[in-house]
Amino acid sequence: MSMEYIEKYRDGRHKCWKDLWIVRPIFVTLKLMAKTTVHRPITVLYPYEALWNPDNYRGRPGLDFNKCLGCGMCAKYCPCSAIILVDTPDDAGKTVSRPQINMGRCSFCAYCAEYCPVDAMTVTPIVELAEYTRADLIYGPRRLAYENTTEGMKVRNEVTLYSDFQNGKGEIRQSFFGLDRPELDEKKCISCKKCQKVCPTGAITMVEHGTNAKGKPILWPEVSADKCVSCENCVSACPKSALHLKEVC
Amino acid sequence: MAYTSIIDWITGVYSQHGWADPIQANPYYPFGDAYNLPYDLGMKLWNIIGGAIAWLLDLLFPGNDVSTWLVCDMTNNIFALVLFMVLVFAVVFVACLISLWEERKVLGRGMDRRGTMIGMWGFLQCVADGLKTFMKDNVFSKKVDGMTYWWTVALIIGTSVLIDCMVPLSPRWFVVNYDAGLLIIMGLYALAPFFILVSGWSQNNKYSLIGGIRAAEMMISYEVPLLIIIATAALLAGSLNIGDIVMAQTKHFWYVIPMFVGFVTFMICATAESERAPFDLAEAESELVEGWQTEYGGMKWGLVMLADYLRGACSCGIIVLLFFGGWNLPFMEWTYFLGDGIASFHQNFMWWFPAPELTFLLKAWLIFFVMIAIRLGTGRVRTDSILNLGWKVFMPLSILNLVIVLIFKLFIGGVF
Amino acid sequence: MTDEKKTQIPDAQAIAEGAEVTKEMVQEYTSQNMDMDKMWITMGPQHPFSHGLWTLKIQADGEIVTDADPIVGYLHRGWEKEAENRTYPKIIPMADRLCYASSMMYTHLYCMTCEKALGIEIPEKTKYIRVMADEINRLQSHLMWLAAVGTDLGNFTAFLWASREREFWMDMNVRLCGARMTTNYPRIGGVRNDVFDIDLDMNDEEKSRFMRDIVRCCDHFDKALWDIIALIDNNSTFISRMVGTGIITREQCANLGITGPAMRGTGVDFDVRRDDPYDGYDLVDFDVPVLSAGDSYARYMIRVEEMFQATRIIRQCVDKIRSLGRSAPYRLKVPSRIPAGKTYCRIEDCRGEAAMYLVSDGTDRPYRLKVRSAIFVNVSSSRDLLMGCRIADVPVIMAMIDMCLGETDR
Repeated sequence: MSMEYIEKYRDGRHKCWKDLWIVRPIFVTLKLMAKTTVHRPITVLYPYEALWNPDNYRGRPGLDFNKCLGCGMCAKYCPCSAIILVDTPDDAGKTVSRPQINMGRCSFCAYCAEYCPVDAMTVTPIVELAEYTRADLIYGPRRLAYENTTEGMKVRNEVTLYSDFQNGKGEIRQSFFGLDRPELDEKKCISCKKCQKVCPTGAITMVEHGTNAKGKPILWPEVSADKCVSCENCVSACPKSALHLKEVC
Repeated sequence: MAYTSIIDWITGVYSQHGWADPIQANPYYPFGDAYNLPYDLGMKLWNIIGGAIAWLLDLLFPGNDVSTWLVCDMTNNIFALVLFMVLVFAVVFVACLISLWEERKVLGRGMDRRGTMIGMWGFLQCVADGLKTFMKDNVFSKKVDGMTYWWTVALIIGTSVLIDCMVPLSPRWFVVNYDAGLLIIMGLYALAPFFILVSGWSQNNKYSLIGGIRAAEMMISYEVPLLIIIATAALLAGSLNIGDIVMAQTKHFWYVIPMFVGFVTFMICATAESERAPFDLAEAESELVEGWQTEYGGMKWGLVMLADYLRGACSCGIIVLLFFGGWNLPFMEWTYFLGDGIASFHQNFMWWFPAPELTFLLKAWLIFFVMIAIRLGTGRVRTDSILNLGWKVFMPLSILNLVIVLIFKLFIGGVF
Repeated sequence: MTDEKKTQIPDAQAIAEGAEVTKEMVQEYTSQNMDMDKMWITMGPQHPFSHGLWTLKIQADGEIVTDADPIVGYLHRGWEKEAENRTYPKIIPMADRLCYASSMMYTHLYCMTCEKALGIEIPEKTKYIRVMADEINRLQSHLMWLAAVGTDLGNFTAFLWASREREFWMDMNVRLCGARMTTNYPRIGGVRNDVFDIDLDMNDEEKSRFMRDIVRCCDHFDKALWDIIALIDNNSTFISRMVGTGIITREQCANLGITGPAMRGTGVDFDVRRDDPYDGYDLVDFDVPVLSAGDSYARYMIRVEEMFQATRIIRQCVDKIRSLGRSAPYRLKVPSRIPAGKTYCRIEDCRGEAAMYLVSDGTDRPYRLKVRSAIFVNVSSSRDLLMGCRIADVPVIMAMIDMCLGETDR
C-alpha cells in the first residue's frame, strides 16, 4: 500500500476512541524509559558537550586579512548592511580597506563568504557570540580572523552559463567572478582615472588613445580579464556612468 | 534532679535499665495506649536539647527555676509535641520532594532526556527550586479580592499539608488514631474544591475563573466514586480504622485482588482528585495559562505546587493503605519493629529503624510511578469527557466493585 | 435593539470639556452592553496556545465558544516594502525569514518566481535537489507541528519525541547548507552548493556521506514516526479530542479559501505538487492523502501521511541525483536584472498554498513583491472552525492550522 498510515487508521479510528485505550502509549514510553535508563538519553549536555558541526556550518564570518582584496563585494551583497569597509593598517603599515562586521546585525546567511572572489571571507563554526555591549559585537578586520580555516569552510560560487546549459555543455562550471567584466562607453569617458584608483586588484590600466583638442592625452581604462573580479567598484565610481558591467549569460 | 553534668541528661534518657517506657513513665502521654514513634523521638530529642539548656542555665545561675521548668513533665510534653509536628511534617515534606524528584527523573527518561541533574542524581534541584521561589518578589494584582485571594490559597496549602500528615505511615507513626481515620482524610480532601473555586473567582482573571470552576466540578464529581470505594474497602475489613484495614489485608490478602476494578477506578479518580495529568484541566496550560493558579506567583505558586504534590502523595498513600497492605508485606508483620505489645518496644536494639514506614513509602512511590507513567503517555482530557467519564464510567464501576465485594462477602464468606 | 435607544457615555475628551457622567448612565450603559452570560476571553498575544504573537478573542458561553476573532499583525515587519529596496539576490535570505519552519519553501518559491520572470529553465539536478530540500523542510515543519500538537493536547512526551526526530532533519539541513533553520539554500537559477560538494574529503560521489546519511535518516525516521504516532493514534485521550472537533465542509473550505492539509482533510483532492507540478515534482512518484471527515483528526492524519510520503520523495530524489552524477550543472548564471513584467508562482507549502506575485520593472530590484501566505487565509477562518466547540478544543483546532506568524504578518 502506498499510503500505509492512512489505510491503517482510516477505519479503525473510532474503535480505539471508544475504549479507554492508553495502555499502548504508556508501554511505548516505558520502553523508552528503560532504554534511556540503561543507555544515555539522546540529549547533549550543552555547556560540557557540543554538537558536531560540519565544516560548512555557518557561524560568524571569518576573514583572512592578507588574502582579502578589499573589493567590497561582501559589503555590497550583505542583505543586512552589517558589513562596512574600514581603513586599517596592514602588516606592512600601509593603509588598506578591509571589511568590518557588526555581528548584531548579521543574519548568518554567508553571502559574504559566497561572494568573496578570493575566498578570504569564510564561514566559521563559531556561534557563541554573546557580549555585554553592542559595541563589543562589532568585529573589526583583525578580530574576524579565524586560524583553523579548512577547505570546507570556503564557500564556492561556481556557476554554469545558461547558454552552455542550453547547448548541452552543462558540465562547464566557471567561477562567478570570472564572467562579468566592465565595459566602457568611450564617448562618455573623461579620462579621470577614478576607475583605476578604486580597482582593488589593479586590473585597470589607463591606455592612451591619442590626444584631445586641448592636447591632453585621452586615457581609456582597459580591464585585464584575468585580474578582474567583477566587483563593480569601477562602475559605481565612474562619475559619468561610462562604465557598466556586461553580464554574460 | 541534679544538674551535675550534661552526660547525666543524655544517659538519663537511656539508663542502664534500657529505655524508659514512653507511655508508662509519662503521665501526660497524649496518645492513649498507642505507641507513637515521632512523639517518642520528639520527647527524647527534647530531653537532650532541653536538658542541655537547663544544665547550661543551671551552670550559669545555679538553682534557678527556669531550669526546673524546662525539664518538668508538662514542658517536656509541650515541646515534644512541637518537635513531633516538625518531625512528621519533615518526613512528609521529604517524601513529597522525593516523589517530585521521581516524577522529574522518570518523565525525563521517558521523554529521552535527563530530567534534573543538580546534585544527588538531581534531587537537590527540587531544593534549589524551592529556595528560588523563596527569593521571588511577592507580586499580586491590585484588583484581586484581597481576603479570599490570600485565605483560600493558605487553606488549600494548609489542608493539603494536613491530609498528607494525617496519612499514617505505620501503627506507630500517626497524628491521630481515630476509628474513622480514612473518612477524616477524605473529608479534608474534599474541602479543596471550594477553596479553589473561591480562589479562582477572587483573582479577577477569566482564566482563573474558568480554571476554578473546572477544578471544582471535576473534584466534586470524582469524590463520589472515591468514597464509594473507600466504603467498600471498609466493608471488606469491617472497620474504617486504617490500622484495621491494613491488618485485615495482612491476615488474608491484599484488597487489590477482590477489588481490582475498584483499584483501577480509585487510581484514576485519585489522579483526577489530585489534579494530575491527564486530568489537569484546571491548570490546562495550553488554553488556560495556569488555570486557577494564574495570579499566584513566587512563593505562593511554589507552595501551591507543593500542595499539588502533597495531594498526589496522599492519594498514593491511601491507595497503598486500601489495596496494597499498607506498611506490611504480604503474610508478614513487622513484629520486630512494631512489637506485639508496648512493653517490648525498647527491648530491640533496632527499635528506631523505620522499616515499616519505609515499606509504606516505597509502596507509595511505586504507585506514584504508575501515576507518572500515565502522565507520560496521555494527553489532557476535555472537560465534558471528564465529567462523562466520572459519572458514566467510574461511578458505575465503583458500584460494580461494591457488588463484587458483596457477592464475595455473601457467598464465599470465610476469609472475608 | 436599535442604536438610537442605546445610551452613549461621553468619551474622555467630552468629559474633559465638561460633560457629566451620572451613575444611572453608567448602569444603563452596562445593562445594555454587557452580555453577562457570555464572556470575551482574549488569548494572546502571549499565551501558551498561540505559537507566536497573535491574539485570538473568543466569546465563551460557559465552556462553549460562540464567536471568535483572530487578530494578527503583531509581527508585521514590512517585508514586502523592504523587498522593494533590495536587489534580487538579497531577498533570498529575507525569504528565509518569512517562516521559520518552512524557510526552504519560501526561498524556493521566491527563486522560482524570479526564474519564471527571467524565463529560464533550471537544470534537472537542481530540480531534484530543490525537491529533496523542500521535503526535508516539510518533514521538519510537520514534526514541529506534531510537537506543538503534543503540548497543546497536554502531553510533553510527544513534543520531545517529535523534536528529537526533527533534530535529525536539522542536522541534514546543516550538512546541506550550513544552517539549521534559515537555510538560504536555493538561488535564482540553481542552488547554493552541490550536494556532492559537501563532504570535501570524500570526493567519491558514490560514497558521498550526505547522500548516504540522508537515506539512513529516512530509514530511521520511517520507524521512529510509527513510534510517535503510536503514542497519539492509539491513545484515547488524544483521539477523543481530535475526532469530531473543528469540522468544516467542502463548501466552507471553498468559501474561506482554506488550502493545504486542512483543505485535503475536507475531501478536496488538490495538491499543487501533483496538480500544478513545479520543479521536479512531476518527475517523482508520490501519493496525496485525502480524507473527507473535515475534522481535526483528518488534518492530523493527512499531515502524518505527508511525512511518510516525504521520505518516499527524498529517497527517489537521492537516487535520481546519484544517477545524474557530480558533473551535472546545479547553478546557472542569471542576469541581475529581471525584465519588466508580472509573474505569479505558487507552491505547496507545509501549511497550504503559498504564492508570490512579482512585478518587475527591468531594474535589479522588484517593483512589488506580494506574498500569499496560506496561514493568513487559514487563520481568518478560525471563527467558522471554532463555532460551537469548547474552550478546551481551541488549542487543538488552532494547532491543526499550524500557526506561523512570520509569514502571516510578513
